[in-house]
Order: sequence, then structure tokens, then C-alpha cells
Amino acid sequence: MANRKKQTEGVFLLPEGDLKRPRSPQITLLCTLFVALLTMGLINLYSASLGAGYFASQVKNLAITLSAFVLFGWVIPIRQVNAYAYWFLGVVAALLLIVLFTGRVAGGAQRWISLGPISFQPSEMAKLAVVLTVARFFSSNRQDAPYTIRDLLPLAATVGVVFVLIFAQPDFGTAGVCGLIAICMLSFIRINLRSIGLVFLSVPIVAALLWNVFLMPYQKLRVLNALNPELDPQNSGYHALQSLIAVGSGGVFGKGFTQGTQAHLRFLPERHTDFIFSVFAEEHGFWGSVVIFTVFAFVTYIALDIARHSKDTFASLVAVGVGSLIFLEFAINVSMVMGIFPVVGIPLPFFSFGSSAMLTVCISLGLLISVNRSNSGVSKRN
Amino acid sequence: MTRIHKQESLLVESRFMWASIALLVAISGLLLRLWYIQIYRGDYYREVSERNRVRKIEIPAPRGIIFDRNGEVVLGNRPFYDLVYIPQYVVDKDTTFKIISRLLHVPVTRFEARLEMAQSQPKFLPVALKRDLSQHEVSIIEANKIFLPGIEVRVAPRRDYGPEVPPHLLGYLKEIDPEALDTLNVTNQENPYLLGDLVGKQGIELRWEKYLRGQRGYRLIQVDAFGRQSQGLEETGFSLPNVPSKPGADLELTIDYELQKATKAAFAGKNGAVVVLNPQTGEVLAAVSEPGFDPKMMQQGVTPEDWRELIENPFKPLLDKTSGGEFPPGSVYKSVVAMAGLEEHVIDENRTMYCPGFYTLGNRRFYCHDRKGHGTVNMAKAMLKSCDVYFYQVGIELGVDRIARYAKAFGLGEKLGVALNMEKPGLIPTSAWKMLTYRLPWAGGDTPNISIGQGYDLITPMQMANLYATIANGGKLWKPYYVNKVTNHVGETIYEHHPELIRDVKEVSPKTFAMVRAALQAVVMEPGGTGKNAAVEGVTVAGKSGSVQVVSLKKNTNKPGSDVSSYWKEHAMFTAFSPTENAEIAIAVVSQNDIVGGGGKSAAPVAGKIIARYWQLKRERAASAQAQNKDEIHGKQEKAN
Repeated sequence: MANRKKQTEGVFLLPEGDLKRPRSPQITLLCTLFVALLTMGLINLYSASLGAGYFASQVKNLAITLSAFVLFGWVIPIRQVNAYAYWFLGVVAALLLIVLFTGRVAGGAQRWISLGPISFQPSEMAKLAVVLTVARFFSSNRQDAPYTIRDLLPLAATVGVVFVLIFAQPDFGTAGVCGLIAICMLSFIRINLRSIGLVFLSVPIVAALLWNVFLMPYQKLRVLNALNPELDPQNSGYHALQSLIAVGSGGVFGKGFTQGTQAHLRFLPERHTDFIFSVFAEEHGFWGSVVIFTVFAFVTYIALDIARHSKDTFASLVAVGVGSLIFLEFAINVSMVMGIFPVVGIPLPFFSFGSSAMLTVCISLGLLISVNRSNSGVSKRN
Repeated sequence: MTRIHKQESLLVESRFMWASIALLVAISGLLLRLWYIQIYRGDYYREVSERNRVRKIEIPAPRGIIFDRNGEVVLGNRPFYDLVYIPQYVVDKDTTFKIISRLLHVPVTRFEARLEMAQSQPKFLPVALKRDLSQHEVSIIEANKIFLPGIEVRVAPRRDYGPEVPPHLLGYLKEIDPEALDTLNVTNQENPYLLGDLVGKQGIELRWEKYLRGQRGYRLIQVDAFGRQSQGLEETGFSLPNVPSKPGADLELTIDYELQKATKAAFAGKNGAVVVLNPQTGEVLAAVSEPGFDPKMMQQGVTPEDWRELIENPFKPLLDKTSGGEFPPGSVYKSVVAMAGLEEHVIDENRTMYCPGFYTLGNRRFYCHDRKGHGTVNMAKAMLKSCDVYFYQVGIELGVDRIARYAKAFGLGEKLGVALNMEKPGLIPTSAWKMLTYRLPWAGGDTPNISIGQGYDLITPMQMANLYATIANGGKLWKPYYVNKVTNHVGETIYEHHPELIRDVKEVSPKTFAMVRAALQAVVMEPGGTGKNAAVEGVTVAGKSGSVQVVSLKKNTNKPGSDVSSYWKEHAMFTAFSPTENAEIAIAVVSQNDIVGGGGKSAAPVAGKIIARYWQLKRERAASAQAQNKDEIHGKQEKAN
């Protein structure tokens, strides 16, 4: 305990030394991109929620999300995060359990927890928990030989619990993203080839099992509709089709800010959350969308770069995990909006309305900055 | 940036390159998809989004107004409220029907049937569920509108029928037949009909449909996904097109509506037809066919019961008898025989014949209508008394074919070409016709009957009136017509009718015409004339009565509930014109199975009343025109002062 306290004190002394060193170009870039994403997201949310209170609500939450960004970026050192990684997982798992039994039902699934006036979505935090858990696992279970299935079993079990808890809500999309984040992170680790082959062989079996036993009918429909949105324009495919129309009708330069007819005439469902990108694409067109795509690609690339330059396994893996979290959410959401992926309810980071999601991505970027700062060799390695 | 060796990290260095490549591939794929949707297919989606948010509201065009010759409105429009169903926006059809059925007390099956009819049309087009809602019904529907998505009350201008509107002449409107829609629209591509449109089905409304219907307009409104009208685009200066409808063209009829009303009143209680013509032009001044029907009922959708009643009525209410009813002309035809006789020199004004009350041909006896006989009669006297025996003899001396030649010269036996409703040609028999039809030679015994307008002879009231109009004007056979002028909605005259001469009746000399006119005037104006009931004080009236024994109606045509006794009465005819020289009005009255009696007794007073009203109207109008003139002059003087 004493040791830990000392470390914490050290952290609080750090900023002074920090200011003396030349600023890392990555941090400047990340902060610029962060501000750019936040600004674009808020402006777009303003248009998407004209006449509704989402924009104001998101702005009010800005205080919390920004302080979380600063907290994880500059205040809490990455080592501290490493130390509390499993605790964090435990808390999230507990919250997920509570949600499962007492959570608020919305849209046929239990996803929210209500703490007084605040509604909270633990499954958003679960993504971060998965990132931290995987990173922690490898940093504390180092081995030189490639990992085998047996070696990874404890990790699979812990991540699996989270996965099942989210899947049971049921939130197919978030559960899937959690799994994919883990896979992305694992892909940077040397793993026994036989084990990989075994897992790949079992994938179709597990998928078939999922489809037939666990998937709810509405989820099956969503998958089918994503494959052909024009099948059933009035019902489940309606969202996908209207979103496609919105994006497509944006054309080269878009219809102009707050001029999107699809969104403002309420043809677009869920336009402030899952389909927020169609509002943007409709109003700002191809070039506007290219800007967003570029920014997300850039953020992801920076995350990879930070990870590559990190000497610490945990920090490096966290950077990879955060990068995959942001990119996966972006790619899945945009694919969903563009009609090449099922409508699975994945928000677009920084754009979709929702305090839990916003908090998650802000913490993620904060962690990235924290990792980058640790790369600069300020803090001592254990 | 210093190079950092990663001996302490577990992560495989080379994987970062692969990850970067994967990132590049993924982002390229997404950009490709974005390009495909927004640029390659952008126009398509833009169009879809336009359709998504913009809804077309059809604006029905009011039909043209029908005026009479003096500018009085015969048939106009008023707004009607219709309950329409727009399938696209209906959430639950059965519940919706249940609710409106309860609100309006109309069985659900009625709505279902309506919807069935409209099955083939696009889902965004409205289907009329109930027409002409009352104010009360409109307010009930409006109050419950939130429970009735896809149900709307639409207002449309439609015909406002007064009680005096002549149904056969103007015709009626009926909802377009769904099966006929496509064929009809082949010729109306730039102004197509829609299901539920009302189209002219008879009379003027049918004949002048093309001019009367107008062109529907439309309005684009911006709607949201729930079909609710919304604003927004207008604020940015983008205005949605609003194409007003073009009202149909207005017609000016040849009809004198006041005279038409008087004619209807004079003919009240009778079945048959009355035609009033202007002998100098062929203009139809009034046309009445009885019994009539209620055009209002047709416009609103006739019920099967009402329709059956119309179809089964032995007096055929739907038939326009003015030109579509064929009747044996009876003694009215004697003028033709007289003219033929005079022209063919079979008779002259002085030749007399003796009428003992019957005429014997071979072993058959043909009776005069007055079995006591008329004694010695010349042409004028025979006309006056309507002596059958005289005309039997003239007819036999002329022979059937010579009579037919003269009859046909006056347009009898063929269609006049009035092009309104189902015009019938009538029938003027010839020996050749009989051979062709019955494969029998003309028998001598056939001639007496046709000489007095019975037997095979059939003519329509229109032909009858036109025959006398031609006698009155001295041989000009005009084509009767109903419409003087068509004026489009901006006031341009797009059609004007000029009197059309079918032919000059050169077969009959002016002297003969004058002689016949004098004889006809005597029929009305001399004591003992069969047409004395048609006399009008202060003017000369010429006319001829006719009574026809009804033999064509068989007992088995009797329908339960109808007045059986009336079938066995005679047809009462009267034709007249006034004044005798330079006549301004020619009339034919045909009263079918008249209960009162023969032509002189029953039909002549009708003609008399119409003629009297005609002159009365003329005097009144002249007086009011004069008064107006005086006012104008007075006004001008005041201005000058």
C-alpha cells in the first residue's frame, strides 16, 4: 500500500516536468482530433435533434466527459490503470448483472441502470473493461513461447463472462464489439498456430449454435435485412432503407446543415443515436463524410503508432485495444448506416447521443494520451 | 523521435504493419461504399428522398357551368365533402373501418367493396369511402382524426342539382368504371382520369365531357414519415409547386331555362316527351322527357335497389325520349301525306272526298276516328277535322313509296344527327323495306294505316318537332342542336355553333307550304278544329293533333304495381308552331299512354301553355331590356351633367 501511495504522489508531481519537455506531436494531434470530433459531433447532433433536447443534454454532459478525458490522460498514470484493471472488470460485471435483473427496458432489451437522475449503460463501459482485462492478462502472464488455448483459457473465461452478460440483455452488437476488440488485441500476440486453427474450426459451429439457439427473432431479422434492406421497407428493413436514402441523397456536397429532409421530416429513425451518421452524410455529402472517415482512420493509425512505440506490454495493448474499440465502432456503425452490415445498435463515437458511450470514448482517448506520455520515458518501468 | 526497441513488449512488431494495411483496406472499402451510394447512385437516392418527403395532393377541377341561352345557370357546382382512405397511411384497416362504421352508421362491407374496386391503383392515391358528408359527419370525423390515420375529409366541387334540372338533357355523372379507366386514359394521356372521378354518363355531360371536365391541378406538400404536413423548406426560399386546377369550360345552351321549366310544368303528370325548337335555326329551346330520374342520386352512387327500380320501370326513366323514343306519329303525319298529295297532284286544295265514317278496301273496312263520318271534305277540312278517310284515299292514290319519299325529305326515318343520347332513326316504311324485313310484298291494306301515321310508321318527338319547324320555315331542314357556345375558364370562346342545314326541302313548293300552314292554323284557330285547345290569345298558332291507338304494348309487359290501365290508353300527340308565318317556336308533344285522352284533348293544352309562356317571356324580356336601356341612357345623362 505504501509503495502505491508513493507512486501516486509521484504522478501528481509529474506535470511540472512535463511542461519542460517538448510536447509530443502525437498528443497535440490527438487533442486536435479529439476537439474536432467533439465539435463535429455536437454540431451534427444539433441538426439531428432540432426540436428535441438531445443536443442540450449532450452539452451538459460535456463537463463530465471532458474531465474524464483529462483525468485518464494526464492525472492517472497508466500503471495505476493496470493495477485496477481487474477491479474495473469486476465492477462492470456486477453492474451488468444488476442491469440484467433490474435494468430499465428500452427497445426490447435491458441496457440501462438508473442511479437517481442518471441513466447509465454498463455495457458501454464493458468495452473498456475488456480492453483493460486483455492488456492486464498479457502484462501479468508473460511467456516467450506462443500462447496456446490452455494458456488463454483464464482470459477467455473472464472476457466470456462479460460477453455472455451483455449478450443476455440482449445486446448482440455490443457483445460482438467486445469480442472483436479482444480478437484485435490478441492478433498482436504470438499465439500457437494449432490453437488458432482449432478456434477457426469451431467458429462455424458456434455461429450456427448462436443463430439457432440464442438469437432473438428480431436479431435474426436485422441480420437478414442488412443483407437486403429493400425486402421489407415498412418494418424492420425500413430503418436501413431510409438511412440508405438519406446517405445517398446527400450526394457530393450534401443538402446543407439542418437541411436534411430525411432527418428533419422524420423518415430517419434513431437519427440522434445509431443513425446519426446518415444525418451527417445527408447534410454534408460525400466530402463531408470523407473528412469524418479520414479523422477516424487517423485516430486509429495514431493509436497503432503509440502502441508500437510503447515498451510496456500493458500500455501497448491498451493503445491497440482503444484503437480497435474506436475504429470497430466507427466501421460497424458506418457500415450499418450504409447498408452493408446488420442494424446492431452500435453508436458512432463522438457523434451519437448518449452519455455512457461518450464517456467511454473520452476515457479511451485519455488512455491513449496516457500511454503516449508513458512512452516518453518519464515514468520508471517496474 | 528516437527509435525504441521493443524487447520488453510482448507485441509482435510486424503485426503493426499488417494492422496498418488492414486499416487502409477497411477505410478504402468504406469509402468505396460511400462513393457508390452518394455519388454513383446519388441521383437515384436523391429522387427517392424527394418522393419520400413530397406528397402530391390532387386538386379536382370544377366542371364547367352550364348556362341557358340567356345566361341563367342551369347547372353549377358546390363543394362536397368526401371521406377518403389513403391506403399508404392506414395502420390497421379493420380497426379503422370499424371506427368509421360506428361513427357514420355505414356497414363495413360497403367500405370493403369500395376498397376492392381500387385495389389496382397505387397505395398513395385516395379511395372515396363515402361521398357528400354532412357538416355533422365532417365534424365527427375531424374530431376522431387522431384514431384514424390515413382517413381524410377531402373537399371537391361537384354538381349542385336543383329540382328543375332536366336529367335527360343534361345527363348525369357517375363514378368512372374501373375497367374502363385504362382504355379511357389512352386518349387522355395528358389529362388522365383517376379512379373515383365522376364522368358524364348521358346527355350534355357525356357529349361535352371533354370540355366540361377541366384539368385537375396538384399541390405538392412536404410531409414527414407519418404523412403529416410539415413546414421547413419554404423558409429557405424553396417553394413547392402548386398547380391550380383548370375549371372546365362553360357551356351556353340553346335552351331557354324559363321555357324549359314551363314545359316541364305543362307536361307534369304525363309520360313521354316534349321538344321545343326554334324553326329558324334548329336550336332546341326546351326538351323534356318523362318520367325522369334524380341525377343527384347517380352522382352520389346509386344503390342497387334504386337502380333496379329505374331499369324495371315500364316507362323507362333513363331513356331520353325526345330523340330516343320512337312513336307512331298518328294524325300528325297527315301533313306529310297532304304535302305529298299536293306536290304529286293527287289532290289540290279544292278536291273533295266523301267520308261516311269508314273506308272500304277490298273486303276490309278502315274506320275514321269519328264513325259518324265527316261528309264531304277538302284538304283543309280534312286537316281541321283530322278526317282519316280522306287521307286513306290520298295515301292509296299516292302509294307507300311516294309518301316515303316526301317523309324522308323531311328527315324522317333517319337520324337527325343531334348527337345527344341514343338517337333513334324512327321508321318510314317502303315496299322495299317490307320485302327486306318481312320477305313479303307491300299489301294494299298496309297503306291506309301508314297514311294516318300508324302501322309501321315510327318517328321521334325530335323529328316530329323538326318536321313542323320545316313546314313553318318553308322548307329549311335544320339540324337541331343544344349548345350555342363553349367558353373556357379564361373567357375565350372555344366553340361556337352555327345553324346547320341538313337540306333544303325542294320537293315541296312554297305554295304548298303556305297552303298546309293555313290548314294547320285553321286546326287551332277555327271553331271545330281538333287543336283548339292549343290556341293562345293574341298570336297565331298552327298545329295538328294526333291520337294513336296503342296496340304495341302487350299484356305481358304489365309489371306488378304499375298502373295497368294506362297501357291501354292512346298516345296523345300535338305539334304546333307560332306564329303561323315566320314562326319563332315549333313544338312536338308526345304523351305516352295518356290517361286524359287524345291529342286534341290532352296534348294540345300542353302545347298551348308552352306557346303562351313563350310569348309572355318575350314580352317581359323586351320590357325589362327597355327599362334597362332607359336606365343606361339616364345614367349616361347624369354622368354628362
